Amino acid sequence: MARNIFTVMRSSTPAATAERSSVSAPPPPNLPPPNTKQDAAAGVGVHIDPTLEAVRHDFTEEVEMAVQLRDVSAYYGTFQAVDKMTIPVPRNRVTALIGPSGCGKSTLLRCLNRMNDLIPGARVEGNIEFEGRNLLDPDVDAVDVRRRIGMVFQKPNPFPKSIYENVAFGARINGYSGDMDRLVEDSLRRAALWDEVKDDLSKSGLALSGGQQQRLCIARAIAVQPEIILMDEPASALDPVATLKIEDLMRELAEDYTIVVVTHNMQQAGRVSDYTAFLLAGEERVGRLVEFGPTQDIFTNPLDQRTEDYITGRYG
Amino acid sequence: MSAAAPTARPSSYSPRIGLRRSASVGFMAVAMLAILASMVMLGALIVEILLDGAAHLFTDGGAVERDTRSGLVSDLPTPESMGWMRWAVPLAILLPAIGPRLLRRLAPKLSRDMERILGLLAVAPAAIFIHILYVRFESAYLIDYAKLTDISGASGNIIQLFAEASGFQFVRLIIVGLVLPIAILVFGARWAPRMRRPSLLISAILIAAWLVYLFIDPWFLSSFPSRKPAEAGLFSAVTGTLYMMAITAALAFPLGVGAAIYLEEYARQNWFSRIIRVNIANLAGVPSIIYGLLGLQVFVRVMEFERSVLAGACTMALLVMPIIIVSAQEALRTVPPSMREAAYAVGATRWQVVRYHVLPYAFGGMLTGNILAMSRAIGETAPLIAIGALTFIAFLADSPTDDFTVLPIQIFNWVSRPQSGFHEIAAAGIIVLLLILLLMNAAAIIMRQRTRTDW
Repeated sequence: MARNIFTVMRSSTPAATAERSSVSAPPPPNLPPPNTKQDAAAGVGVHIDPTLEAVRHDFTEEVEMAVQLRDVSAYYGTFQAVDKMTIPVPRNRVTALIGPSGCGKSTLLRCLNRMNDLIPGARVEGNIEFEGRNLLDPDVDAVDVRRRIGMVFQKPNPFPKSIYENVAFGARINGYSGDMDRLVEDSLRRAALWDEVKDDLSKSGLALSGGQQQRLCIARAIAVQPEIILMDEPASALDPVATLKIEDLMRELAEDYTIVVVTHNMQQAGRVSDYTAFLLAGEERVGRLVEFGPTQDIFTNPLDQRTEDYITGRYG
Repeated sequence: MSAAAPTARPSSYSPRIGLRRSASVGFMAVAMLAILASMVMLGALIVEILLDGAAHLFTDGGAVERDTRSGLVSDLPTPESMGWMRWAVPLAILLPAIGPRLLRRLAPKLSRDMERILGLLAVAPAAIFIHILYVRFESAYLIDYAKLTDISGASGNIIQLFAEASGFQFVRLIIVGLVLPIAILVFGARWAPRMRRPSLLISAILIAAWLVYLFIDPWFLSSFPSRKPAEAGLFSAVTGTLYMMAITAALAFPLGVGAAIYLEEYARQNWFSRIIRVNIANLAGVPSIIYGLLGLQVFVRVMEFERSVLAGACTMALLVMPIIIVSAQEALRTVPPSMREAAYAVGATRWQVVRYHVLPYAFGGMLTGNILAMSRAIGETAPLIAIGALTFIAFLADSPTDDFTVLPIQIFNWVSRPQSGFHEIAAAGIIVLLLILLLMNAAAIIMRQRTRTDW
């Protein structure tokens, strides 16, 4: 499939493309939205007026949506962590979720593959449309969701088993009947790890370095052949060199997979992502979407004062 | 090896040991000697077995007169063929104590394979020792039996043992005489490279075994209770204890671990599961005599097991189950959440997560808890008295429905007799009981060690 990542023209006719995209919320109003840079007066923007609508940039390319989140709210017991987020996730693109700690990025990510089901008392409302179905429906099998939407965690967490077993496990439990050796090799190759480990696949996954472990985790996620890969700050525990490898890998993987990545690192979001969603939590610690759009637009021309403040490092 | 290498090179000093160079050279020399001597000893042993044949090694030939002995051995001659044990055991203690460190220094690359071999060498004497001790024990029993029934020519060699053995005895012979020693060899070789301090544990086991060998008369272990202290033995008590413990473990471990898995992995957090949790903790503190009365009513009377091994084992299983559940729950809680998440994230079902990741990770801890619970059960007397275990059993339990006795009851019975001879053999019985306990606890430590350094 032809990729044209940054063929983002500063489109003068955004409405046409926006309509084609499956954004369900009313098509983003043309700039400037009413709240743009108007509440800059409210100090450093930590206070969010809940009534404010998130700012949406126009899509500048034709792209299908892999997942469509609509009014997704997440609660831990009585605590609300995410409030009515509406975010489209374009297919075969890297979508970054950025924002300060505690703004619900990880929670939102975990909603996508129903990982929050595992936390007692956690509850997710709204609609996450994936292949025509709502992922949050009780009759959707969470196990199946997780097979098709893989996840890579913040801290590398290979199983305490051999490298081979780490990669083969997911395929095996999901009834993969093909050539397992081949699948393991392919997955490790795609995760750019094969050359480093091919001599001793029986070595423990925990014996690898941190960056290698994280690539092993990515190989493990790929081996199940998911459609979407969620990454929760995949490089935050790694040094710059390993981080760079992971970022290169994400760009390569985006050719075949849809990637959603949570990151604290502005530069990283700018380097790897095609689309960016900026989330922010107010004083009551409920995370809300502030701005969503093509990464270049968000970084070069943020429409909301708070986004600009965050990106330029004024707070967060 | 770079004993003369300049000390400035970082590769030539070992932070693991931290000995000065001069000291470590002498250290290595001693260790080399130990390894050499042990290999020579093992070779000689194998040659001896091959050349002299099993009969010579494995029998006493009935040479010792039974009337001359008491429970504690002072004057019993050690059979010539067992003389090697005097050297084997100290060597086997020394070898694992220093061998692995030495290997890591000498050949870091080879050391994994070498450590396997070393582990094998270190446990070989233990395995052979257990094999011989047990076969001697069984042959003593056979010869005793032959005398009573006027069978001539019972020499008690291993072939005859297998020929004469029947039923439970045959199973026992296979398991303790063959499977156990081979398992010790296999696991010794596999675990040695993984254990941080294999040395001390193996040494501890060997010392315990050696103590049995030195101080306990094999005849004492292999004869039945008697009216005369000089003839009384622990045979039925030891076998009854082992038999009952085996059934108890088979009942309590799967049930207890299953309950723990349910409570930790499946049960929802609500008032019902909280009540269960609290009450399991309470049950662990209930006095054992109450379990005895429960067992008496439920197993002995209602279920009509009578005063059998099975009734005793069921009662003991009830007694230790809370302990097993609590320790298994602890073990399950040590499984890092990140590991569960990783497994769920590739589409594992709850059972697959438990089966392939949680259980293997927590199994060592569960096994440890199980063995510690078993070592509590082995010393319990009250519940068995309550269900009416006998103190005078002059036969072996051949099926789970036979009458039985156990060590603490036998000891209790001897202590309460007026003759001083019985007090002596009660003391000997206490040593046997303590040694069995020590062995079980050592096994628990080994298992904990193993899971900690796995991968």
